[in-house]
Amino acid sequence: MGFRDFIDAVLGRSRLPKAKTDKLFAISTASITLESNLGLKSSGAAGICFKPIDASAYESARKEIQELLEYSSKETKTEFRLEKDEFNFLWAIFKDPDFEDLVANIHLVSETLEEHGFGEQLLCAIYRFDSEPEDGKPGGVKTIYWIYNFKQGTYYPFIPLSGKQRDSPFEFRLRAEMEREMPVEKNVEKWYPLWGIPF
Amino acid sequence: MKRKWERDLGLQGRMIFTMFLLAVVYLFFLAFFSYYGTPPVYMILFVGFFMAIQYFYSDKMVLWTTGAHIVSESEAPQLHGMITRLCAIADLPKPQVAIVKSQVPNAFATGRNKNNAIVAVTTGILDKLSPAELEAVLAHELSHVKNRDMAVMTIASFISTLAFYLMRYGLYFGGMGEDRQRNGGSFVLIWLISIAVWIISFILIRALSRYREYAADRGSAIITGQPSVLASALMKISGIMSRVPSEDLRTVEGMNAFFTVPAISGSSIMDIFSTHPSVEKRIAKLEKMQQDMT
Repeated sequence: MGFRDFIDAVLGRSRLPKAKTDKLFAISTASITLESNLGLKSSGAAGICFKPIDASAYESARKEIQELLEYSSKETKTEFRLEKDEFNFLWAIFKDPDFEDLVANIHLVSETLEEHGFGEQLLCAIYRFDSEPEDGKPGGVKTIYWIYNFKQGTYYPFIPLSGKQRDSPFEFRLRAEMEREMPVEKNVEKWYPLWGIPF
Repeated sequence: MKRKWERDLGLQGRMIFTMFLLAVVYLFFLAFFSYYGTPPVYMILFVGFFMAIQYFYSDKMVLWTTGAHIVSESEAPQLHGMITRLCAIADLPKPQVAIVKSQVPNAFATGRNKNNAIVAVTTGILDKLSPAELEAVLAHELSHVKNRDMAVMTIASFISTLAFYLMRYGLYFGGMGEDRQRNGGSFVLIWLISIAVWIISFILIRALSRYREYAADRGSAIITGQPSVLASALMKISGIMSRVPSEDLRTVEGMNAFFTVPAISGSSIMDIFSTHPSVEKRIAKLEKMQQDMT
């Protein structure tokens, strides 16, 4: 607990921690290693999730994001949609076979929100990867999500199985394999699951 | 930055002033003892021991006294999902989640720090509030955890509790003190001073508690970004509150200081003795925040 946290607690001051966007791009180079070393390919889908707030300034930020995305998606031929989930969080979801375009669009959203002073509202960015089907095992394709937590500025793997189970052994293996390639969250208590990722 | 609405300097000022006054009263009390040379050592140890137990075992004690039981992620997926996201966006460790089987719509948080926290809700509140309102209430409780209200209030009330015990049993202890000869009738003075210290600190602690409540309301509004949603949740909770049978209320009385809305409604008591500000005042503050945001 830092001094500032202490003062905040004593005075009952609240603020959302700032978003850390600097490590967001680490997935670009990591995606190459993921494919060559582990056979995990981008499934051409990614999304960014943030918490809308009741403010007109936020409303104008949201409109600008929509306009920017419409403009940029024409250029990169990225499919995108905005969608609210059951927890009232807003998702911008992208589909594009070109991984770099996915990264660029995610970055566009986070940057626009930050410019408008709403970077604190960013929850996470998620990239979806699929494993190669194993030989002789039809349908053995696994879905792997790499989640970027904006509060921590780190990535962590999330592999949902049926019945709200996680493939923890594989998640830990991914951490071990990828630790040197990208900033992987060290504290596994922060590996929050996100059930029902809409892509 | 467009986040001016996140600050309430007036509230912080009042909080600092209240804490300062408390410190003055307590220092006076301690100075008084050092002057008379009869520190009530046994009483300090006794009160300290019980407050330490309360502080370190508050989470377990709350589970016993309220009948709350910890629920796992598979038992209450929606509730867990909500808290997980709130913790992720506010960068807090996820607390344990508990449910109390009671129709009284309520929620509370306890635990000495962020890593030993429990956030509990009653089945009544789960039934009555919309998901967005429930989220706002949970964010309020998480703000209590983040602001370390358990620790702040324990520290703030330590000497007050000591004064309370001296007031109740002071004459008895004073009469038994080894310094009886030297101090003569000073234990009567100790008794009177204890009464004064207790009354003043009681009022100050109640004020502090109300300010912490406003602070948690603000925290909730900042985490959810929707002050008006918490306002509507408070309206729902308080409106229903008055119509609930009193037997249920009594069983939850002990944890009032950590309830979102006190189970015993404070209509008959004066405002200065209340642990929670009136719902009207809280709603007015939240509406002000909402206006500042747009």
